[in-house]
Amino acid sequence: MNVPVQAVAVWGKIAPSHSITAIMITDDQQTIVTGSQEGQICLWDLSSELKISSKEILFGHTASVTCLAKAREFEKQPYVVSATENGEMCVWNVASGQCIENTKLPYRHTAIYYYHCSFRMTGEGWLLCCGEYQDVLIIDAKTLGVLHTLSSQSSDWINCMCIVHSARIQEDSLVAVSITGVLKVWELSSSLTSIQERQDVCEKESKSLDCLNCQAIRFCTYTERLLLVVSSVCWQVYDYCDFSLLCTEFSKSGQCFAGGEVLAAYRLIIWTEDGYSYIYQLLNRWAQMGNSHKKFSGLSKSIYPADGKVLKETVYPHLLCFTGLKENKSFPFVMGFLNERKEPFYKILFSGEASGRITLWHVPDVPASMFDGSPKEIPIAAIWSLQDNFDKNLSMSEGIIDHLCASKYGIESAVVTSSVYIPSLDKLVCGCENGKIFVTLGLKTVRARLLENVSLKGNLSHKVLNGHSSRVTCLLYPHDNSVKFDPSWLLSGGQDSVVICWNIFTGEILHQFILQAGTVIELLRSPENFKFKDHSIVCCVCNDHSVAILHLQKKECLLHARKHLFPVKKIKFDPVENLLIVGCEDDSVYVWEIETGTLERHETGEIAKAILSSIEDSEYLVADALLPISQESKRNKNPEYKSSSSYKLGMVSYNLTHTEKSSDKIMDNSLIRQPFTVLPVKTKWNSANFHILLFDLEKLLELLLSSQLCGLKSSNSFHNLDTIERAKSTTEKRALTLKRNKTAGSISTVDGQVDAVCANQVSGDTNAVRSLEESGGIKRQKKMKSSRKIRMQSSGNIDVDIATDTAKLLLSCLLPWGVDEEIDNLCVRHLDILRLQCPVSFGLLSNESHISLMLPGWKCTDCGVLEEHTLSNLFSNRVFDLSNKYLAATEGQTETKEEPVNNTYGAKGSETVIFLFNRIALINRIINMPSLHMCFSETSKHHSPDFRRGSLLKLICCWSDQSIKIIEAMQAVLLAEVQRTTKTLRKTAVYREPLAIVENGNGKLQTLPKSEESLFLDILHFSLPLFLFFIAPVSALKHGKSSNSANFQDVEDVPDRCVLEESESPEISKSCSLC
Amino acid sequence: EEEFKWLLQEEVHAVLKQLQDILKEASHRFALPAGGAEGAAKQESFVLSTAGTDQVKGVLTLQGDALCQADVNLKMPRSNQLLHFAFREDKQWKLQQIQDARNHVNQAIYLLMKRDVNYHFKTGSEVLKLMDAVMLQLSRARNRLTTPATLTLPEIASSGLTRMFAPALPPDILVNFYINLNKLCLTIYQLHVLQPSTTKNFKPAGGSILHNPGAMFEFGNQRYEVSHVHKVECVVPWLNDALVFFTVSLQLCQQLKDKISVFSSYWNYKPY
Repeated sequence: MNVPVQAVAVWGKIAPSHSITAIMITDDQQTIVTGSQEGQICLWDLSSELKISSKEILFGHTASVTCLAKAREFEKQPYVVSATENGEMCVWNVASGQCIENTKLPYRHTAIYYYHCSFRMTGEGWLLCCGEYQDVLIIDAKTLGVLHTLSSQSSDWINCMCIVHSARIQEDSLVAVSITGVLKVWELSSSLTSIQERQDVCEKESKSLDCLNCQAIRFCTYTERLLLVVSSVCWQVYDYCDFSLLCTEFSKSGQCFAGGEVLAAYRLIIWTEDGYSYIYQLLNRWAQMGNSHKKFSGLSKSIYPADGKVLKETVYPHLLCFTGLKENKSFPFVMGFLNERKEPFYKILFSGEASGRITLWHVPDVPASMFDGSPKEIPIAAIWSLQDNFDKNLSMSEGIIDHLCASKYGIESAVVTSSVYIPSLDKLVCGCENGKIFVTLGLKTVRARLLENVSLKGNLSHKVLNGHSSRVTCLLYPHDNSVKFDPSWLLSGGQDSVVICWNIFTGEILHQFILQAGTVIELLRSPENFKFKDHSIVCCVCNDHSVAILHLQKKECLLHARKHLFPVKKIKFDPVENLLIVGCEDDSVYVWEIETGTLERHETGEIAKAILSSIEDSEYLVADALLPISQESKRNKNPEYKSSSSYKLGMVSYNLTHTEKSSDKIMDNSLIRQPFTVLPVKTKWNSANFHILLFDLEKLLELLLSSQLCGLKSSNSFHNLDTIERAKSTTEKRALTLKRNKTAGSISTVDGQVDAVCANQVSGDTNAVRSLEESGGIKRQKKMKSSRKIRMQSSGNIDVDIATDTAKLLLSCLLPWGVDEEIDNLCVRHLDILRLQCPVSFGLLSNESHISLMLPGWKCTDCGVLEEHTLSNLFSNRVFDLSNKYLAATEGQTETKEEPVNNTYGAKGSETVIFLFNRIALINRIINMPSLHMCFSETSKHHSPDFRRGSLLKLICCWSDQSIKIIEAMQAVLLAEVQRTTKTLRKTAVYREPLAIVENGNGKLQTLPKSEESLFLDILHFSLPLFLFFIAPVSALKHGKSSNSANFQDVEDVPDRCVLEESESPEISKSCSLC
Repeated sequence: EEEFKWLLQEEVHAVLKQLQDILKEASHRFALPAGGAEGAAKQESFVLSTAGTDQVKGVLTLQGDALCQADVNLKMPRSNQLLHFAFREDKQWKLQQIQDARNHVNQAIYLLMKRDVNYHFKTGSEVLKLMDAVMLQLSRARNRLTTPATLTLPEIASSGLTRMFAPALPPDILVNFYINLNKLCLTIYQLHVLQPSTTKNFKPAGGSILHNPGAMFEFGNQRYEVSHVHKVECVVPWLNDALVFFTVSLQLCQQLKDKISVFSSYWNYKPY
């Protein structure tokens, strides 16, 4: 299921580390793609003046990236494939940052080439892969499934390969060199059919070259004759016709060649592992004797075998130019070369360093040596790194709590080294490098960070916990997933090897566990089904590979297991026999008895595996007997353990993938009912953290609609706007008191059914008193059922309040500020959407574990300075076009809507916020489900006579076909809608505000409910049928299909807007409950 | 800080040197054809043996990563008739596990060679990254030897191994060679054809290292059931050595990593 979640990244001052292991430039020379050891892929903008600027960072891989390659014909689809150390493969759209396809195969690739033979192939082409397995794999570029292998007589790993495409030979072939230095040639184009039919394809030729550690092989397309083979100690040129050696050049001592490319006929560029490159001219001795023309003009045509011999004597290399770096020679480099012969493009030599820096050289078309014949140095064209971008855009790269520090401690701000977000309390806890821990309210902090409003920053309440002497390395709020822990406990572990148990509400230290075991790496709570004498325990992993088990109630350390030689990978509990099972990185297993603290067993190999897997089984067995809730949390738990292990393994550098996965899972299970979450992300090599804000659009919409419904009902019953306001304030109050009572800290395992929330909302004030009473009662009684009820009520109330704030925050993030001064002001005044402090880095979630985030500085190249006042948050110029188109498409609608819209918008900004938000959610939904477009556009024609909707939908479908980013579309629509609404606002402004209010007051009894309803109906009318169309297939899985379609029919039956009021309210409530 | 510098400059190189020596020793065990000056790697013969019965006897000859000769006698359980089969003269069977392990070790050595004595380590994280890479290769090498591939019966049936023998294998016999720890194993499956009428409880067996009698599979429009399984193995001493080397060097790597991370935790050094 596609969860429409909008992500916003809040970076810190320090850029995430990015040790480049693979680098490529796309064919259009506009994007540099780098893969890192940490597993992220970074997209960089390359301007036509060779200026680099980081654009986006793609998360999703959990291990070091080994290679990158294009995955389609680039002009058609800007797709790039990446492969990693642990066999993951992923196809990305480098224009939008979306993950198109991903898979995990048991193969580790070191090189991938895209091969497409347009006239003889069906499908999207092949990826020819080689790596740490025998021979060459052919992988389908679209599905990433293995199609076939190219086998050979003496199979071995292939080190490097290249596709030889030659007009002369009329045959595409693959030339590869194995790890033992055997050169093999497979025919590609003539064996297409046999590959498709999965027949064995053997190599055509095989010859042992006398070189080990071959790094690169290149075919010279200019002469169609020469073959360049680069190994770490030397490079050689072979004759492609008979594979005879033409010349050899050895590297200088201490230098290893890493690759090479053919620049032009008889001109080569070779680069080394430490970042140098050399351009050679292959000279012909005969040519110097003045005998050349005859020789070479005949070369590319038919040549006698004897010629090779002659050639051998004639060719020798001459160094023309070289490039080098002055500083930082120690880092390993990855280099590449892009050779473009077309005019606007350059010949670019590029390199990426382990430190994350990219260097470019512009190689002249005709490189020449100095006059005296000595080699000339080519200057560096550009150098850039992620940190440069972060430094350049300081306001964008401000950390999430930097403003807190700034207000208190002057300029110096603490680097956040660990953080945790507690969704049930909306609290964000950040541990800093200096040992301080900040506890703040999540949403308010974020608003203060992103929005331009001084008042927000000033009165932001936060607590500072002082206790650690050095860096806080991990935080745990154990109550989050397990009810057994006291909701006031917060655990923190530091570099000083101390674990502190805090009271999160008062900030006092409950206990200090001093471990003396190095840095505390990880804090884990014990699984739900495991109990130590009816108490839950916390397990903490330290830097010296030891595991400590802490008992929080008794305030003692039960066990400190210190015998492990290797980093701890897995921790499991045996609930039956009170055992702690520790799996280490070397696949050995230690079994500890918790009560006595003795090492029971130490096993390696197969037995170790059996022990680990047997415990998993027993865990499942126990879980079946328990409540389904605990099962859920356990399921969330298991991957957490595993991925935390892989984190330590050194393969995952960012902890993201697992948190990402689990959080998404949580959303699927609707375990978290918060529409807004802060996701802390930790990096491996540097300690700094950054945060991702997740907005769940569906959830927000639900809450907003329910709140609106509540407002509608109450306004119907009280005929007064003020009551809504009052109701709201009371809910606010209630929320606060509940929060103080700690019961609002709802356990996130309850399934919040929205209709239930709605019902609670409707029952309104009367419930409020009761819920308070009950929440008092729950403390004493601690009955599961009643508490669940209350939790649902209370959290529902809070959510509505938070929801509007969250929606406003998201809207202000999306709105392109500075397009029109007047619109900006109107927005701030009437809609209470605040101006942004700085441009926002948005993210795009492709699926459960793949996300792309914009980096600070993305805007630099996308849109220049358009007008006098700088645009602060525009994604691209295309947004204007799109919004104009959108306006045109929905023009008819505007006119009909004008009248009711006028009133409502003048009166209530919050309604508008909801309306705008609705639109965004809708757009998001439409674009997210491309497969349903067709079926919808047909059904819409069939079912509804409403033409306007169809046209809008068509427009949006068309956008998504044009691969316009969701974010752009959303911004465009928002801009258009805001322009439209403010137009009406401007009109009302003529009447002056009091007048408008009076007008509203006069017509309160009749017009207001009507207008409100009509607006509401309009939204429903507009979005719900659409919504139903999209959701129907999905929700059909959950609800019965019959009820769904019945409701759907009802909605469809509603005629335009001249509908009787009686039929409306059940209608609305029904549809509300559905969505 | 001084101490850390010393660690980076002296101790790291000492450990790396030690590692290299161990791994080279391990690599020699694999008898790289190109590495040895004597040209072809030497051939070793091993006698297959089972614990209990002597239904299967045979001699295998290993040359580097390839099985170049196999000579197997199988005593049919019922008829007591002796079945003899051997590799064809012109063919040899590559043991992928050995080849992969050898390649991984050589990769590790290559990684270490790139950072020889002249190389100057500047930061701790540099060493950590190198160690990570080396350890990854080593653990992969070890895993290749310790965990044989789990194959399905159709995969075994379709592998090139069945065509290697002279006289050709009877259609009701499957063979599979693999390495498990330090042992070279041969499994022989005797099959009988299932009648099409008994399709009711046909359940194809999944992938496994060793299939049990009764496992069923479909291959070439025929359904088979395994009736007898014979497993014989022989110890290859140098594989044992190699495994020990791997374990020792992995521990060395981890110790070096630990040393470096101790420094980093006491004193907040910047990675770059």
